[in-house]
Amino acid sequence: MKPDNLTVLSEFLHKRENIDPARVTPEALLEELKVDSLMLLELLFEFEDRLGVKIPQDIPRPKTVGDLLGIVDKVTAGHGV
Amino acid sequence: MASARRVAVTGLGLVNPFGGDLPDFFGRMLRGESAIRLFTREDDVTRPLAVPAVRCANFDADAELGQSLSYTMDRYSQLGTTAALSAWRDAGLPRTKDAPRNDWGVSWGTALGGTLTFEKGYIEMLRNGRERVPPLSVVLGMSNAAASHISIQLGLGASSATYSVACASSAVAIGEVLQKIRSGEATLMVVGGSEAPLSYGVVRAWEAMRILALGDEASAARACRPFSSDRQGLVLGEGAGAMILEDWDHAVRRGARIYAEFAGCGSTSDHDHLVRPNVDGQMRAMRMAIHDGGLAPDEIDYINAHGTATREGDPIEIAAIRGVFGSRSAAVAVSATKSMHGHMLGATGVIEAIITVLSLASQEAPPTAYLDDVDRECTGVRHITGGPLRTSLRAALSNSFAFGGSNTVLAFRAAH
Repeated sequence: MKPDNLTVLSEFLHKRENIDPARVTPEALLEELKVDSLMLLELLFEFEDRLGVKIPQDIPRPKTVGDLLGIVDKVTAGHGV
Repeated sequence: MASARRVAVTGLGLVNPFGGDLPDFFGRMLRGESAIRLFTREDDVTRPLAVPAVRCANFDADAELGQSLSYTMDRYSQLGTTAALSAWRDAGLPRTKDAPRNDWGVSWGTALGGTLTFEKGYIEMLRNGRERVPPLSVVLGMSNAAASHISIQLGLGASSATYSVACASSAVAIGEVLQKIRSGEATLMVVGGSEAPLSYGVVRAWEAMRILALGDEASAARACRPFSSDRQGLVLGEGAGAMILEDWDHAVRRGARIYAEFAGCGSTSDHDHLVRPNVDGQMRAMRMAIHDGGLAPDEIDYINAHGTATREGDPIEIAAIRGVFGSRSAAVAVSATKSMHGHMLGATGVIEAIITVLSLASQEAPPTAYLDDVDRECTGVRHITGGPLRTSLRAALSNSFAFGGSNTVLAFRAAH
Protein backbone atom coordinates (compact mmCIF):
# COMPACT_ATOMS: atom_id res chain seq x y z
CA MET A 1 0.00 0.00 0.00
CA LYS A 2 1.31 3.45 -0.83
CA PRO A 3 1.85 5.67 2.22
CA ASP A 4 -0.49 8.66 2.38
CA ASN A 5 0.92 12.14 2.00
CA LEU A 6 0.87 12.91 5.71
CA THR A 7 2.99 9.83 6.33
CA VAL A 8 5.41 10.83 3.57
CA LEU A 9 5.79 14.22 5.25
CA SER A 10 6.22 12.90 8.77
CA GLU A 11 8.75 10.30 7.65
CA PHE A 12 10.75 12.96 5.81
CA LEU A 13 10.81 15.24 8.87
CA HIS A 14 11.66 12.39 11.18
CA LYS A 15 14.55 11.28 9.00
CA ARG A 16 15.92 14.75 8.40
CA GLU A 17 15.27 16.59 11.65
CA ASN A 18 14.33 13.80 14.05
CA ILE A 19 10.87 15.28 14.53
CA ASP A 20 8.34 13.17 16.42
CA PRO A 21 5.71 12.02 13.85
CA ALA A 22 3.01 12.73 16.46
CA ARG A 23 3.73 16.45 16.05
CA VAL A 24 3.05 16.34 12.32
CA THR A 25 -0.68 17.10 12.35
CA PRO A 26 -2.68 19.11 9.79
CA GLU A 27 -2.85 22.09 12.18
CA ALA A 28 0.90 22.14 12.93
CA LEU A 29 2.81 25.18 11.70
CA LEU A 30 5.52 24.23 9.20
CA GLU A 31 7.85 26.78 10.76
CA GLU A 32 7.65 24.96 14.08
CA LEU A 33 8.58 21.72 12.35
CA LYS A 34 11.80 23.39 11.11
CA VAL A 35 10.47 23.70 7.54
CA ASP A 36 12.10 26.87 6.23
CA SER A 37 12.08 28.08 2.61
CA LEU A 38 14.88 25.70 1.61
CA MET A 39 13.31 22.64 3.19
CA LEU A 40 9.97 23.51 1.59
CA LEU A 41 11.72 23.23 -1.79
CA GLU A 42 12.94 19.79 -0.85
CA LEU A 43 9.51 18.71 0.31
CA LEU A 44 7.85 19.85 -2.91
CA PHE A 45 10.54 17.98 -4.84
CA GLU A 46 9.91 14.87 -2.75
CA PHE A 47 6.17 14.95 -3.40
CA GLU A 48 6.68 15.57 -7.12
CA ASP A 49 9.03 12.60 -7.27
CA ARG A 50 6.85 10.22 -5.31
CA LEU A 51 3.55 11.14 -6.93
CA GLY A 52 4.82 11.78 -10.45
CA VAL A 53 3.26 15.22 -10.63
CA LYS A 54 4.45 18.74 -11.29
CA ILE A 55 3.61 21.34 -8.67
CA PRO A 56 3.35 24.78 -10.31
CA GLN A 57 5.81 27.51 -9.39
CA ASP A 58 3.17 30.05 -8.34
CA ILE A 59 1.60 28.17 -5.42
CA PRO A 60 0.74 30.19 -2.29
CA ARG A 61 3.31 29.74 0.49
CA PRO A 62 1.78 27.14 2.86
CA LYS A 63 1.75 27.96 6.58
CA THR A 64 0.54 24.69 8.05
CA VAL A 65 0.94 21.01 7.31
CA GLY A 66 -2.70 21.05 6.13
CA ASP A 67 -1.97 23.89 3.67
CA LEU A 68 0.90 21.92 2.16
CA LEU A 69 -1.01 18.68 1.90
CA GLY A 70 -3.93 20.57 0.38
CA ILE A 71 -1.69 21.85 -2.39
CA VAL A 72 -0.36 18.37 -3.06
CA ASP A 73 -3.88 16.86 -3.06
CA LYS A 74 -5.19 19.42 -5.52
CA VAL A 75 -2.30 18.89 -7.93
CA THR A 76 -2.68 15.12 -7.66
CA ALA A 77 -6.39 15.35 -8.36
CA GLY A 78 -5.65 17.45 -11.41
CA HIS A 79 -7.56 20.48 -10.16
CA GLY A 80 -4.62 22.87 -10.27
CA VAL A 81 -3.96 25.08 -7.32
CA MET B 1 54.07 50.24 9.52
CA ALA B 2 55.60 50.64 12.98
CA SER B 3 52.27 51.41 14.59
CA ALA B 4 50.37 48.59 12.84
CA ARG B 5 48.98 45.77 14.87
CA ARG B 6 50.75 42.42 14.73
CA VAL B 7 48.87 39.28 13.72
CA ALA B 8 48.96 36.13 15.83
CA VAL B 9 48.11 32.60 14.72
CA THR B 10 46.11 31.25 17.67
CA GLY B 11 44.17 28.29 16.30
CA LEU B 12 44.70 25.53 13.75
CA GLY B 13 42.29 22.93 12.42
CA LEU B 14 42.06 20.56 9.51
CA VAL B 15 40.36 17.59 7.97
CA ASN B 16 43.12 15.35 6.74
CA PRO B 17 43.33 12.00 4.95
CA PHE B 18 44.92 10.19 7.91
CA GLY B 19 41.74 10.80 9.91
CA GLY B 20 43.53 11.75 13.13
CA ASP B 21 44.00 15.08 14.92
CA LEU B 22 46.46 17.90 14.27
CA PRO B 23 49.44 16.47 16.23
CA ASP B 24 48.90 13.10 14.56
CA PHE B 25 48.91 14.74 11.10
CA PHE B 26 52.03 16.80 11.79
CA GLY B 27 53.82 13.79 13.28
CA ARG B 28 53.18 11.85 10.10
CA MET B 29 54.45 14.78 8.00
CA LEU B 30 57.66 14.87 10.06
CA ARG B 31 58.15 11.15 9.50
CA GLY B 32 57.64 11.51 5.75
CA GLU B 33 54.49 9.41 5.69
CA SER B 34 52.39 9.57 2.52
CA ALA B 35 48.58 9.62 2.55
CA ILE B 36 48.40 8.94 -1.18
CA ARG B 37 46.48 5.82 -2.19
CA LEU B 38 45.04 4.41 -5.38
CA PHE B 39 41.65 6.06 -5.89
CA THR B 40 39.13 4.08 -7.85
CA ARG B 41 35.64 5.05 -8.87
CA GLU B 42 33.34 2.77 -10.77
CA ASP B 43 29.94 3.68 -9.34
CA ASP B 44 28.31 6.02 -11.80
CA VAL B 45 30.94 6.90 -14.33
CA THR B 46 31.43 5.99 -17.95
CA ARG B 47 34.90 4.56 -17.60
CA PRO B 48 36.30 3.56 -14.17
CA LEU B 49 38.87 5.86 -12.58
CA ALA B 50 42.07 4.50 -11.08
CA VAL B 51 44.61 7.18 -10.15
CA PRO B 52 46.75 7.92 -7.13
CA ALA B 53 44.89 10.50 -5.04
CA VAL B 54 44.30 11.64 -1.49
CA ARG B 55 40.88 11.08 0.09
CA CYS B 56 39.56 11.82 3.55
CA ALA B 57 37.94 8.39 3.56
CA ASN B 58 37.06 8.34 7.27
CA PHE B 59 35.43 11.76 7.28
CA ASP B 60 31.86 11.44 8.59
CA ALA B 61 30.05 14.72 7.92
CA ASP B 62 26.88 13.69 9.77
CA ALA B 63 28.86 12.84 12.90
CA GLU B 64 30.90 16.06 12.72
CA LEU B 65 28.15 18.52 11.87
CA GLY B 66 24.82 16.83 12.53
CA GLN B 67 22.70 15.47 9.72
CA SER B 68 20.42 18.46 9.26
CA LEU B 69 23.42 20.77 8.69
CA SER B 70 25.56 18.40 6.63
CA TYR B 71 22.60 17.73 4.32
CA THR B 72 22.61 21.35 3.22
CA MET B 73 26.28 21.25 2.22
CA ASP B 74 28.43 20.04 -0.65
CA ARG B 75 31.39 17.97 0.54
CA TYR B 76 33.73 20.95 0.17
CA SER B 77 31.62 22.89 2.68
CA GLN B 78 31.39 19.91 5.01
CA LEU B 79 35.17 19.57 5.03
CA GLY B 80 35.66 23.34 5.39
CA THR B 81 33.17 23.94 8.16
CA THR B 82 34.54 20.99 10.12
CA ALA B 83 38.09 22.36 9.82
CA ALA B 84 36.94 25.85 10.87
CA LEU B 85 35.09 24.53 13.94
CA SER B 86 38.18 22.53 14.85
CA ALA B 87 40.43 25.63 14.60
CA TRP B 88 37.91 27.56 16.68
CA ARG B 89 38.06 24.96 19.47
CA ASP B 90 41.85 24.85 19.18
CA ALA B 91 41.97 28.61 19.76
CA GLY B 92 39.95 28.19 22.95
CA LEU B 93 37.06 30.28 21.64
CA PRO B 94 33.54 29.69 23.00
CA ARG B 95 30.54 28.85 20.79
CA THR B 96 28.27 31.60 22.07
CA LYS B 97 26.21 33.79 19.83
CA ASP B 98 25.61 36.43 22.52
CA ALA B 99 28.77 38.47 22.19
CA PRO B 100 28.73 40.91 19.26
CA ARG B 101 31.38 39.81 16.78
CA ASN B 102 30.95 42.39 14.08
CA ASP B 103 34.70 42.84 13.72
CA TRP B 104 35.32 39.10 13.38
CA GLY B 105 35.03 37.54 9.93
CA VAL B 106 35.90 34.75 7.57
CA SER B 107 38.18 34.62 4.54
CA TRP B 108 38.04 31.38 2.58
CA GLY B 109 39.58 29.78 -0.48
CA THR B 110 38.37 27.17 -2.92
CA ALA B 111 39.35 26.50 -6.50
CA LEU B 112 36.29 24.53 -7.59
CA GLY B 113 33.63 25.00 -4.91
CA GLY B 114 30.72 22.59 -5.19
CA THR B 115 31.91 20.70 -8.24
CA LEU B 116 30.53 17.39 -6.92
CA THR B 117 27.05 18.93 -6.64
CA PHE B 118 27.15 20.18 -10.21
CA GLU B 119 28.38 16.83 -11.48
CA LYS B 120 25.54 15.09 -9.67
CA GLY B 121 23.11 17.40 -11.46
CA TYR B 122 24.63 16.66 -14.85
CA ILE B 123 24.50 12.91 -14.20
CA GLU B 124 20.82 13.17 -13.23
CA MET B 125 19.94 15.07 -16.41
CA LEU B 126 22.29 13.72 -19.05
CA ARG B 127 22.68 10.12 -17.98
CA ASN B 128 19.59 9.36 -15.93
CA GLY B 129 17.33 11.29 -18.25
CA ARG B 130 15.72 13.38 -15.54
CA GLU B 131 14.48 16.86 -16.25
CA ARG B 132 15.68 18.46 -13.07
CA VAL B 133 18.37 18.53 -10.43
CA PRO B 134 18.08 18.32 -6.63
CA PRO B 135 16.43 21.47 -5.25
CA LEU B 136 19.33 22.63 -3.09
CA SER B 137 21.87 22.48 -5.93
CA VAL B 138 22.37 26.25 -6.02
CA VAL B 139 23.07 26.69 -2.32
CA LEU B 140 25.18 23.54 -2.16
CA GLY B 141 27.24 24.36 -5.20
CA MET B 142 27.90 28.07 -4.82
CA SER B 143 31.53 28.95 -4.24
CA ASN B 144 30.90 31.03 -1.12
CA ALA B 145 28.83 28.34 0.61
CA ALA B 146 31.63 27.16 2.91
CA ALA B 147 32.44 30.70 4.07
CA SER B 148 28.75 31.41 4.63
CA HIS B 149 28.25 28.30 6.74
CA ILE B 150 31.31 29.15 8.83
CA SER B 151 30.11 32.69 9.38
CA ILE B 152 26.62 31.47 10.40
CA GLN B 153 27.91 28.72 12.69
CA LEU B 154 30.36 31.00 14.49
CA GLY B 155 28.36 34.22 14.42
CA LEU B 156 30.95 36.28 12.52
CA GLY B 157 29.61 39.67 11.50
CA ALA B 158 32.57 41.19 9.63
CA SER B 159 33.26 40.36 6.00
CA SER B 160 32.71 36.86 4.64
CA ALA B 161 34.70 36.56 1.42
CA THR B 162 35.78 33.68 -0.80
CA TYR B 163 38.81 33.74 -3.06
CA SER B 164 39.10 31.46 -6.06
CA VAL B 165 42.68 31.63 -7.32
CA ALA B 166 43.25 28.04 -8.43
CA CYS B 167 46.07 26.44 -6.42
CA ALA B 168 46.75 29.64 -4.46
CA SER B 169 43.14 30.17 -3.31
CA SER B 170 43.56 29.65 0.42
CA ALA B 171 46.98 31.35 0.49
CA VAL B 172 45.31 34.42 -1.00
CA ALA B 173 42.44 34.09 1.50
CA ILE B 174 45.00 34.16 4.32
CA GLY B 175 47.06 36.97 2.82
CA GLU B 176 44.07 39.21 2.24
CA VAL B 177 43.27 39.52 5.95
CA LEU B 178 46.68 40.80 6.98
CA GLN B 179 45.83 44.44 6.29
CA LYS B 180 42.38 44.07 7.81
CA ILE B 181 43.85 43.05 11.16
CA ARG B 182 46.85 45.39 10.98
CA SER B 183 44.58 48.35 10.38
CA GLY B 184 42.15 47.43 13.14
CA GLU B 185 39.27 46.84 10.71
CA ALA B 186 39.06 43.27 11.99
CA THR B 187 40.11 41.83 15.34
CA LEU B 188 39.90 38.14 14.51
CA MET B 189 39.48 36.25 11.23
CA VAL B 190 38.80 32.60 10.48
CA VAL B 191 40.87 31.86 7.37
CA GLY B 192 41.53 28.81 5.26
CA GLY B 193 40.17 26.78 2.43
CA SER B 194 38.57 23.54 1.38
CA GLU B 195 38.39 21.39 -1.71
CA ALA B 196 36.57 18.23 -2.76
CA PRO B 197 37.81 17.82 -6.33
CA LEU B 198 37.52 14.09 -6.87
CA SER B 199 34.64 14.26 -9.32
CA TYR B 200 34.81 12.23 -12.48
CA GLY B 201 35.03 15.26 -14.74
CA VAL B 202 37.69 17.05 -12.69
CA VAL B 203 39.97 14.02 -12.47
CA ARG B 204 39.59 13.43 -16.21
CA ALA B 205 40.37 17.11 -16.88
CA TRP B 206 43.63 16.92 -14.93
CA GLU B 207 44.49 13.68 -16.69
CA ALA B 208 44.06 15.48 -19.98
CA MET B 209 46.68 18.03 -18.90
CA ARG B 210 49.12 15.08 -18.74
CA ILE B 211 50.50 16.16 -15.38
CA LEU B 212 48.82 13.65 -13.05
CA ALA B 213 51.19 11.14 -11.49
CA LEU B 214 50.44 7.54 -12.41
CA GLY B 215 50.55 4.55 -10.11
CA ASP B 216 48.92 1.35 -8.98
CA GLU B 217 47.97 -0.04 -5.60
CA ALA B 218 51.58 -0.85 -4.73
CA SER B 219 53.23 2.32 -6.00
CA ALA B 220 50.57 4.95 -5.26
CA ALA B 221 52.04 6.08 -1.92
CA ARG B 222 55.23 7.26 -3.62
CA ALA B 223 53.56 8.65 -6.75
CA CYS B 224 54.30 12.32 -6.01
CA ARG B 225 58.05 13.04 -5.85
CA PRO B 226 58.81 16.78 -5.99
CA PHE B 227 62.37 17.78 -6.95
CA SER B 228 63.24 14.15 -7.70
CA SER B 229 64.97 13.28 -10.95
CA ASP B 230 62.20 10.75 -11.68
CA ARG B 231 59.24 12.95 -10.70
CA GLN B 232 56.16 12.41 -12.84
CA GLY B 233 53.53 14.90 -11.82
CA LEU B 234 51.04 15.79 -9.15
CA VAL B 235 48.41 13.95 -7.17
CA LEU B 236 44.96 15.46 -6.53
CA GLY B 237 43.61 15.47 -3.01
CA GLU B 238 40.63 16.55 -0.96
CA GLY B 239 40.82 18.20 2.41
CA ALA B 240 40.43 21.39 4.39
CA GLY B 241 42.39 23.57 6.75
CA ALA B 242 41.64 26.62 8.88
CA MET B 243 43.57 29.05 11.02
CA ILE B 244 42.47 31.64 13.55
CA LEU B 245 44.31 34.92 12.91
CA GLU B 246 44.02 37.50 15.60
CA ASP B 247 45.19 40.93 16.66
CA TRP B 248 48.28 40.10 18.73
CA ASP B 249 47.28 42.20 21.73
CA HIS B 250 43.78 40.74 21.72
CA ALA B 251 45.29 37.26 21.77
CA VAL B 252 47.59 38.16 24.65
CA ARG B 253 44.76 39.77 26.63
CA ARG B 254 42.61 36.65 26.44
CA GLY B 255 45.56 34.39 27.28
CA ALA B 256 45.53 32.56 23.94
CA ARG B 257 48.31 30.23 22.88
CA ILE B 258 50.23 31.85 20.03
CA TYR B 259 51.67 29.37 17.54
CA ALA B 260 53.51 31.95 15.44
CA GLU B 261 53.26 35.44 14.04
CA PHE B 262 51.77 35.92 10.59
CA ALA B 263 54.34 38.49 9.60
CA GLY B 264 53.97 39.26 5.91
CA CYS B 265 52.50 38.46 2.55
CA GLY B 266 53.53 38.97 -1.05
CA SER B 267 51.25 38.56 -4.05
CA THR B 268 52.30 38.99 -7.67
CA SER B 269 51.23 37.97 -11.14
CA ASP B 270 53.53 36.46 -13.73
CA HIS B 271 51.53 38.22 -16.48
CA ASP B 272 53.19 35.78 -18.80
CA HIS B 273 51.59 32.38 -19.42
CA LEU B 274 48.56 30.43 -18.17
CA VAL B 275 50.45 27.41 -16.89
CA ARG B 276 54.21 27.95 -17.26
CA PRO B 277 55.52 29.49 -14.02
CA ASN B 278 57.92 32.38 -14.07
CA VAL B 279 61.07 32.86 -11.98
CA ASP B 280 60.70 36.63 -11.78
CA GLY B 281 57.06 36.52 -10.63
CA GLN B 282 57.93 34.02 -7.90
CA MET B 283 61.02 35.96 -6.77
CA ARG B 284 59.03 39.17 -6.51
CA ALA B 285 56.39 37.43 -4.37
CA MET B 286 58.99 35.98 -1.97
CA ARG B 287 60.82 39.31 -1.68
CA MET B 288 57.57 41.16 -1.09
CA ALA B 289 56.53 38.74 1.69
CA ILE B 290 59.92 39.06 3.40
CA HIS B 291 59.92 42.84 3.16
CA ASP B 292 56.26 43.14 4.21
CA GLY B 293 57.05 41.05 7.28
CA GLY B 294 59.89 43.31 8.33
CA LEU B 295 62.21 40.36 7.89
CA ALA B 296 65.65 40.04 6.37
CA PRO B 297 66.24 37.23 3.86
CA ASP B 298 68.85 35.89 6.27
CA GLU B 299 66.14 35.17 8.84
CA ILE B 300 64.25 32.72 6.60
CA ASP B 301 65.28 29.27 7.78
CA TYR B 302 62.59 27.15 6.11
CA ILE B 303 60.47 27.27 2.97
CA ASN B 304 57.46 25.07 2.44
CA ALA B 305 57.67 24.95 -1.34
CA HIS B 306 54.79 24.90 -3.78
CA GLY B 307 56.61 21.85 -5.23
CA THR B 308 53.96 19.97 -7.19
CA ALA B 309 56.39 17.49 -8.83
CA THR B 310 55.77 18.62 -12.38
CA ARG B 311 58.73 18.48 -14.78
CA GLU B 312 58.48 22.16 -15.60
CA GLY B 313 57.43 23.76 -12.30
CA ASP B 314 59.91 22.40 -9.74
CA PRO B 315 63.17 23.73 -11.31
CA ILE B 316 61.60 27.18 -11.75
CA GLU B 317 60.71 27.41 -8.06
CA ILE B 318 64.21 26.34 -7.02
CA ALA B 319 65.69 28.90 -9.41
CA ALA B 320 63.48 31.57 -7.83
CA ILE B 321 64.62 30.56 -4.32
CA ARG B 322 68.25 30.70 -5.44
CA GLY B 323 67.59 34.11 -6.96
CA VAL B 324 66.18 35.50 -3.72
CA PHE B 325 68.67 33.98 -1.28
CA GLY B 326 71.81 34.07 -3.41
CA SER B 327 74.89 32.64 -1.76
CA ARG B 328 72.88 31.65 1.31
CA SER B 329 70.52 29.37 -0.69
CA ALA B 330 72.39 26.22 0.23
CA ALA B 331 71.54 26.91 3.89
CA VAL B 332 67.82 27.48 3.34
CA ALA B 333 65.86 24.35 4.23
CA VAL B 334 63.18 23.45 1.66
CA SER B 335 60.54 20.75 1.53
CA ALA B 336 57.47 19.99 -0.57
CA THR B 337 54.89 18.30 1.60
CA LYS B 338 52.60 17.64 -1.37
CA SER B 339 54.67 14.45 -1.59
CA MET B 340 52.55 13.29 1.36
CA HIS B 341 49.23 15.17 1.41
CA GLY B 342 48.90 15.66 -2.33
CA HIS B 343 47.67 18.75 -4.11
CA MET B 344 44.46 19.88 -2.44
CA LEU B 345 44.03 22.76 -4.94
CA GLY B 346 42.17 25.51 -3.09
CA ALA B 347 42.93 23.94 0.30
CA THR B 348 46.58 23.26 -0.28
CA GLY B 349 47.82 26.76 0.64
CA VAL B 350 46.35 26.62 4.12
CA ILE B 351 47.40 23.01 4.75
CA GLU B 352 50.97 24.01 3.90
CA ALA B 353 50.69 27.22 5.96
CA ILE B 354 49.59 25.09 8.94
CA ILE B 355 52.61 22.82 8.44
CA THR B 356 54.85 25.90 8.23
CA VAL B 357 53.39 27.36 11.44
CA LEU B 358 53.75 24.04 13.28
CA SER B 359 57.35 23.80 12.06
CA LEU B 360 58.13 27.18 13.66
CA ALA B 361 56.25 26.27 16.83
CA SER B 362 58.03 22.91 17.23
CA GLN B 363 61.37 23.92 15.66
CA GLU B 364 61.32 20.92 13.36
CA ALA B 365 60.41 20.84 9.69
CA PRO B 366 59.11 17.91 7.61
CA PRO B 367 60.95 16.36 4.69
CA THR B 368 60.02 15.97 1.04
CA ALA B 369 59.02 12.30 0.99
CA TYR B 370 60.63 9.92 -1.49
CA LEU B 371 63.29 12.40 -2.54
CA ASP B 372 66.14 9.94 -2.99
CA ASP B 373 67.78 11.52 -6.00
CA VAL B 374 67.54 15.30 -6.32
CA ASP B 375 67.20 16.40 -9.94
CA ARG B 376 70.27 18.30 -11.12
CA GLU B 377 67.98 21.16 -12.11
CA CYS B 378 66.63 21.37 -8.55
CA THR B 379 69.86 21.61 -6.58
CA GLY B 380 71.32 24.57 -4.70
CA VAL B 381 69.03 24.59 -1.64
CA ARG B 382 69.03 22.49 1.52
CA HIS B 383 66.49 19.80 0.63
CA ILE B 384 65.08 18.09 3.71
CA THR B 385 64.98 14.35 2.99
CA GLY B 386 64.48 11.14 4.90
CA GLY B 387 63.14 12.61 8.14
CA PRO B 388 62.53 15.84 10.02
CA LEU B 389 65.05 18.66 10.22
CA ARG B 390 65.52 19.77 13.83
CA THR B 391 67.23 23.12 13.97
CA SER B 392 66.67 26.72 14.94
CA LEU B 393 63.83 28.07 12.79
CA ARG B 394 63.35 31.84 13.16
CA ALA B 395 61.07 32.55 10.23
CA ALA B 396 59.62 30.62 7.31
CA LEU B 397 57.83 31.07 4.00
CA SER B 398 54.95 29.11 2.51
CA ASN B 399 54.87 29.35 -1.29
CA SER B 400 51.72 29.04 -3.41
CA PHE B 401 51.97 29.47 -7.17
CA ALA B 402 48.75 29.03 -9.14
CA PHE B 403 47.87 28.21 -12.70
CA GLY B 404 47.11 31.54 -14.29
CA GLY B 405 50.33 33.00 -12.91
CA SER B 406 49.06 34.16 -9.50
CA ASN B 407 51.75 33.89 -6.83
CA THR B 408 51.20 34.29 -3.09
CA VAL B 409 53.88 33.84 -0.45
CA LEU B 410 53.09 33.90 3.28
CA ALA B 411 55.80 34.76 5.83
CA PHE B 412 55.60 33.56 9.42
CA ARG B 413 57.89 34.36 12.35
CA ALA B 414 58.47 32.12 15.36
CA ALA B 415 56.49 33.38 18.35
CA HIS B 416 59.19 33.06 21.00
